[in-house]
Amino acid sequence: MSKTITINNKSYDIDVPEDMPLLWFLRDRLEFTGTKFGCGKALCGACTVHVDGQATRSCVMPVGALAGRSITTIEGLSDNADHPLQKAWLEVGVPQCGYCQAGQIMNAASLLATNASPSEKEIETAMQGNICRCGTYQRIKQAINIAADELAKEV
Amino acid sequence: MRPDIQGFLVAERKRQAQELASTLGRLEIDRRQFLKGTAIAAGGLFIGVSLPMSSLAASSDKATEFNPNAFIHLQENGDLLIYCGRCEMGQGISTALPSVVADEMEADWSRVRVEQAEGDQDKYGSQATGGSASIRTMYEPMRQAGASAREMLVAAAAKVWNTSPQNCYAKQHYVYHNENNNKLSYGELVAIAANMPVPESPSLKNKEDFEYIGKSLPRHDVGMVVEGKRIYGADVKVPGMQYAAIVHCPVMGGTLKSVDKTEALKVSGVTAVVEVAPLKVPFGSLGGVAVVANNSWSAQQGVQKLKVEWDKGEHGSYDTDVYMKQLVENVQKPAEKIAERGDLQSAFDRAKHKVSATYTEGHLVHAPMEPNASVVSVHDNHCEVWASTQSPDDIQSVLSGFLGMDKKSIKVNVMICGGAFGRKFKCDYVQEAAAISKAVGTPIQLTWTREEDTKTGYYHSNSAQYIEASLDEEGNVSGWLHRIAFPSINTLFDPSIQFAPANAVSEIENHPFGIANLRSESGLAPAHTRIGWYRAVYAIFWGLGYGVFADELAEKAGVDTLTMLNRIYDANTNPEQEEQVRRSKAVLALAAEKSGFGKSLPEGEGLGIAVHYSFQSYVAMAVHVRMKGDDFEVVRVDTALDCGQVLNKDGAAAQQEGAVAMGISLSKYCEITFKEGAVVNGNFNDYPVMRINDMPDVHTHFIESDAAPTGLGEPGMAPFAPALINAIYQASGKRYRSLPIQPQRT
Repeated sequence: MSKTITINNKSYDIDVPEDMPLLWFLRDRLEFTGTKFGCGKALCGACTVHVDGQATRSCVMPVGALAGRSITTIEGLSDNADHPLQKAWLEVGVPQCGYCQAGQIMNAASLLATNASPSEKEIETAMQGNICRCGTYQRIKQAINIAADELAKEV
Repeated sequence: MRPDIQGFLVAERKRQAQELASTLGRLEIDRRQFLKGTAIAAGGLFIGVSLPMSSLAASSDKATEFNPNAFIHLQENGDLLIYCGRCEMGQGISTALPSVVADEMEADWSRVRVEQAEGDQDKYGSQATGGSASIRTMYEPMRQAGASAREMLVAAAAKVWNTSPQNCYAKQHYVYHNENNNKLSYGELVAIAANMPVPESPSLKNKEDFEYIGKSLPRHDVGMVVEGKRIYGADVKVPGMQYAAIVHCPVMGGTLKSVDKTEALKVSGVTAVVEVAPLKVPFGSLGGVAVVANNSWSAQQGVQKLKVEWDKGEHGSYDTDVYMKQLVENVQKPAEKIAERGDLQSAFDRAKHKVSATYTEGHLVHAPMEPNASVVSVHDNHCEVWASTQSPDDIQSVLSGFLGMDKKSIKVNVMICGGAFGRKFKCDYVQEAAAISKAVGTPIQLTWTREEDTKTGYYHSNSAQYIEASLDEEGNVSGWLHRIAFPSINTLFDPSIQFAPANAVSEIENHPFGIANLRSESGLAPAHTRIGWYRAVYAIFWGLGYGVFADELAEKAGVDTLTMLNRIYDANTNPEQEEQVRRSKAVLALAAEKSGFGKSLPEGEGLGIAVHYSFQSYVAMAVHVRMKGDDFEVVRVDTALDCGQVLNKDGAAAQQEGAVAMGISLSKYCEITFKEGAVVNGNFNDYPVMRINDMPDVHTHFIESDAAPTGLGEPGMAPFAPALINAIYQASGKRYRSLPIQPQRT
């Protein structure tokens, strides 16, 4: 029986070589292209997804090692693009080219899941692995703060 | 058909072509060369081009749509589709230009859907997107396009009501009757409007009536971005497609000596190994070996298993450390004269003080987050392309030559670029995908690895410049000698060029400083790699030289930088530069005011200022730094800009924030190093770029202006580095004259 992996609450057979990074299983096998290729070496964060809720660089994570685990990609972050971070991203107008933004949002979502009201320093530390060449960092910080405030209201 | 508008557009397009060609340093290109078919190389090509607005009422007999021109498709249900002809790479042009159409058309933005036009310059005008030219050249044509549609809709309603159009007005997707409460929706008017004559000269709205222009309309595509649904060149999937990866010859002009494909072909999923020959035209492939597979990962693994040997060729010993020493020597001795005015020698002879300095900057690679990527499907008599690109026009030209097909047989679907910064103007990666598709007979998606993107790019010129100036008794700058040496972009088109030519060095005689006694010289600087446009292009090193040297002059004269800059501008009596002087001074004053320039700061902090005029926009920046030992932190940046009428304030501010971020990267870290002909850097570990912890608070301030709008993608870049260097000097007494400040050598 082949190994399976759960992606955005749906089960898939791992029907590719097990050393294939999760990124390429997502992008080329399942055609979930919201998760991006930027560096291939876990240096830029464009490929960030959640593995059991934890931000993970999918470009260096062999899919075979993730059998039985639950993956969330940008496509599955919320049902109606209504995660507080997605709403804050729109409110602030964060993206320029937008290519790195799925990774930024997934990384920020993982941060807020463990630290609901991060300080500026904590945001910078947590988000340091995600490069944006357009330079949207100021707005990313602003949007994370807005989302954190929104989450605080929900509690 | 409407000769006035057509004439206007022809003239506008010619002006655009000339401007862009000049900006990009292409005027000296031999027109018989390869590029003669491209839109930006020669104004003459526009003769016979059918202009955007002339595809009038293409479906006037089709009652379900109203298409007054190529950009506007109004449907019977009132939904409005607006095409964006220029390429989107994050600068927001696909919101800015359609919002101008919608504003003039009195369209309800919530009913607008924007679509990226496919490559068709006959229909949409030049789509080659660079030189911060889109807004400058397309603002008026977009207004005309929208205004024409509005007037036709108004005329249609007047016809229905049997009254004069003067009794009607359009507002937010409806036409209203002045004398009663009657109104008709745009959707209801589609069929009638489609049969109305196109107005001879539509009247444009007054500035105070603008709904979208000058406001902060949100980007049309951010919703798709936050859901991961925006499709970039790297994301395209077409039936039957295979994936490819490539390794290139690491040296320009080198050739493949041998390749052992055995191990690569054993990788699971790999179907073929294809040798891609160098294509010796500008924007052609460097040459390489590609591996084709049923997924990108296998293709990349296959490339790793290739055993390739290259013959490096004539540039196989290029070493940037050695080369930079040579550039510095070449500017510290007399070089080729470019321009001269006044009497420099007697100004120097009478000088009270002389100041001189040499500034250098290394190569840069663009490093957009999306590496080069496209899908190409080559068939017997036609070809289809889906590419992240800044120039579908150039893709059609290059592929037309490479495949031996008419340009019209090459369909280019223009995908948004995941960052470009000038890199995706050059379509070598698309031509490679075409070569592989042709070889294997299926559509090919070729995505470069980060390493290939870093090692085989088109690099920003490295440069050295020497400035020597005299101050007279009153502390005025009386003479200016400026020598520069850099491999120019012109070498892409003519590799025999040894000196940056006059058009690439004209900044010196045209600079708004307007020094009366002046001489400019160009030093020997042959190219040993591919040189290309990088965001702001040469303005990066011009900004560095002028901005830091002004600070050094101020110190010698015993005044602050702002005083020195104003003194220089005030001494410029050239009437042709009156506007440049006035607008430069105004942005400087605004940046100074907003930053509190001149205020006293705590120990170890500094506030530097610089101004630069480029791409017809004016930007001044005041940079506040705090030293942390030998390192520094940028605390705050105040940027003041004058780009004429602003189209989208939030978008304009975003471009400034981006310029500061990229400015910090290139000031602090970024440098491409060559050894033995090849690039040493490979990925973000050894080509570090700025990360979130380095981001300062950026405050953008606008000069309110009715002047014609100009672009902002690039102009924010030039003043940042000098303002930073001046701030560090004030904070620490350490004067940096070379970029990057903290070279990261591996």
